[in-house]
Amino acid sequence: MTSPFEILEHWWEYYRQRPFLRLVELFIARVFRGGGDADAEGLDLGIGLVLTLLAMPGGFVSLLLLDKYGTFAQWLKGITNVDVLQAALPDEYFFIVLSMTVTGAVAVWRWDAIFPDRRDYINLVPLPIATKTIFLANLVAVVFLASLVAIDVNAASCILFPAVVAATQLKFLFFVKFAAIHAIGVLLSSIFSFFAVFSVLGLLMAVLPPSAFRRASTYVRGLVVVYLVTLLCTSAAVPNLLRQAKEPSPAWTLLLPSCWFLGLCQWMRGRATPVMADLAKLTLPLLGAIVVIAFSVYALAYRRHFVRISELTEAISRWGRHRESGLLPQSLGHRSLDHLHRFLLRTPFQLACFPFIWKTLRRSETHRLVLTAVAGLGLVLSSQALMNAVEGTQSARQAALSPEALSIPFILSFLIIAGLRVVFEIPVELRSNWLFRLMLDPDSRECERLARNAVLILVLPCIFVMAFPVYAYLEGFRIASLHTLLVMTWAVLLTNILLVRFRKLPFTCTLPLFKQHSIVILLSFGFGFLIYSLSTPEFESSALLEPARMISLVPVAVVAWLIPHYLAKNTPEVDRKLIFEESPSRTIELLQLGD
Amino acid sequence: MLEAAHLTKRYASLPAVQDLSFTLQPGQVLGCLGPNGSGKSTTVKMLTGLLQPTRGVVQFNGRNIQEDLTAYRKRLGYVPEEAHLYPYLTGWEYLEMVATLRGIPGSELAKKIDTLLQLFSLHPHRHASIGTYSKGMRQRVLLIAAIMHNPDIFIFDEPLSGLDVTSALVFKNLVQALGRSGKLVFYCSHVLEVVEKVCSDVLILRKGAVIAQDSVANIGRLLGQSLENTFLQLVDEVDTLTVARDIVDVMRLGAAA
Repeated sequence: MTSPFEILEHWWEYYRQRPFLRLVELFIARVFRGGGDADAEGLDLGIGLVLTLLAMPGGFVSLLLLDKYGTFAQWLKGITNVDVLQAALPDEYFFIVLSMTVTGAVAVWRWDAIFPDRRDYINLVPLPIATKTIFLANLVAVVFLASLVAIDVNAASCILFPAVVAATQLKFLFFVKFAAIHAIGVLLSSIFSFFAVFSVLGLLMAVLPPSAFRRASTYVRGLVVVYLVTLLCTSAAVPNLLRQAKEPSPAWTLLLPSCWFLGLCQWMRGRATPVMADLAKLTLPLLGAIVVIAFSVYALAYRRHFVRISELTEAISRWGRHRESGLLPQSLGHRSLDHLHRFLLRTPFQLACFPFIWKTLRRSETHRLVLTAVAGLGLVLSSQALMNAVEGTQSARQAALSPEALSIPFILSFLIIAGLRVVFEIPVELRSNWLFRLMLDPDSRECERLARNAVLILVLPCIFVMAFPVYAYLEGFRIASLHTLLVMTWAVLLTNILLVRFRKLPFTCTLPLFKQHSIVILLSFGFGFLIYSLSTPEFESSALLEPARMISLVPVAVVAWLIPHYLAKNTPEVDRKLIFEESPSRTIELLQLGD
Repeated sequence: MLEAAHLTKRYASLPAVQDLSFTLQPGQVLGCLGPNGSGKSTTVKMLTGLLQPTRGVVQFNGRNIQEDLTAYRKRLGYVPEEAHLYPYLTGWEYLEMVATLRGIPGSELAKKIDTLLQLFSLHPHRHASIGTYSKGMRQRVLLIAAIMHNPDIFIFDEPLSGLDVTSALVFKNLVQALGRSGKLVFYCSHVLEVVEKVCSDVLILRKGAVIAQDSVANIGRLLGQSLENTFLQLVDEVDTLTVARDIVDVMRLGAAA
């Protein structure tokens, strides 16, 4: 007697062996492991780990809300008779933007792997499979992944958040209704976000020639990342603005899809304001539209891109030949930087490796994306600082001297320097590092200097451009010089501190292991950001009125200069050697006496 | 002179190379043959200093190479088995980086790279990214990178893989020319005909140990047959004809249905 489970297993095995499902399986695995042209080998994580990481933010945030909704905590704060649905509105909005941001980020991260690529073409086209089958299998894989990511990202919050909110409610039905509506809201917003990014990708592929698509791809991904970061940052202000908004719906609500989904949730609960009810009506038609657009542009892009993939290599190669023959000149910025680095860098090691760092930052998708995300965060924080600076002041001159306005170059320089430091740890084409293993002297000790020069060559001109002209125009030459000098000095000190005991050639070493002190390092980054970007401008704001007070920063700078030097000087010899692998320190060392 | 003395490499107690010894004199082109897993690549990595032997030493002009690896590598040109290059760099940029790391002065650098790119028929593609190169083009980039600083020792690990007929012929003649000009050449390959043609001596490995070492002419003469037959007799444990017949039988299995 065969059990139903065995029958099911038999059926599954039978269909799994069918070409279509094998293709779907192949495309799903490809999205997780990266496409043929992806260079993200250093960031390739297992499927299980990826799903766990994606599920974590929702779970953590839900648990943190226990304090807000806990009855005992409320009683201690003297809060009684709370309208939980009203109180949950900002948190619900936050979960919606979180799910949209994380799902959108996944789509951006796996941008190169969503569509079949050259490797698929080479492997699949010679097989007796119709291109229509490949098209449909990839589409099924994309739909499956969109659903999987949407469920995974929101799984924890769909259970924990309603449980936390309903903790004070006596009826179980309240929990069920709240959870169901919350789940609908966040799942639909996730799906919207995924297919919106997918549509942008498909549209670009359908409209642009292959070489132009490759060039535009990174910039568009960068813009999407900046938009997602901005969306996340709206979570603090938007719920209140939305509550107070009067009909007709303000134009900005149309630019923030998160508002539509919040409107939908509130409408389903019967708590929607007129504006929210209007937005709720938009949600499902727009979601349907984006899915239809995504599928249509996918079909167009598939026809235009995949079927012509064999021509792609030739096209790119031709473009390269045009560039070398002078038809596409090198940019002025690139040439200036070339002259600058030849002037500043002296040894063969520095002369060879600085261009390598610069070109990797410019051309590696992974590294550009991480830097774009950091820059996006910097832009959002800076624009908030700028808005705060302008809000309480009478004139631009007065606003320029406020701590908030002064903090802008500090915020940007901190994030760029810290971002570069993090990006240096991400390997690129690890198997190609044999060249450096073979050619570099492990005792040369030039890596720290090279990394510092690379950071400063990239950051100091940016600081100058950001700070000096604006302050020279608004506050005069003296204030502009002082402000620029202070930010530059702080940037140099921060770079020195972040690169203490750095003994790798950037991008050539395996990813760092999670160590016990990694959490301390993360906390130090946060603490450092507060001191660097908030406390210093606070002091500077008062010191600029009395420039003599600036002298009191000199001892701080001297200490910050000496500490890294002291640490570098006292580094044991073994920790100075150039490394290409981050191996864990062994607790037990084998003597291998038998050899 | 390059000398490997009692080289042994173990990976977690499993021996990859055992007690391997040979010498390589100036002007000698030593071919290294062996089936997959015979320890060829491990030997090459120990000769380049990328791997430290578990036991034994590699000496160059009587000095252990590990004592001053940087000085040794300055005199070494190496072509690895697989062409792992940075795909986002152009051919020109990659070679410029290697040349700068090798300390070739800026005045010579551009001219040298330009000429070598022309000689290896890569000049029209020099500003296209390596990611768009074919396997043969990547291999040519590696070859240029290995020879551009005029080293004394050459270690080639399957250098012909992916090369077109013309480039392969150029390369074979180049290896012979290098031997004649007094360079030391260690040449690893699966292609017996090439080894027979370009190498003066041959070293045959099996399961990490040397099973034969002599001049190409002598090895053939000793067993009275070609290098291919000698190699099969010494190394292979399978009857290749029977295996080929079995493969055809298996192919027919599915087709008959």
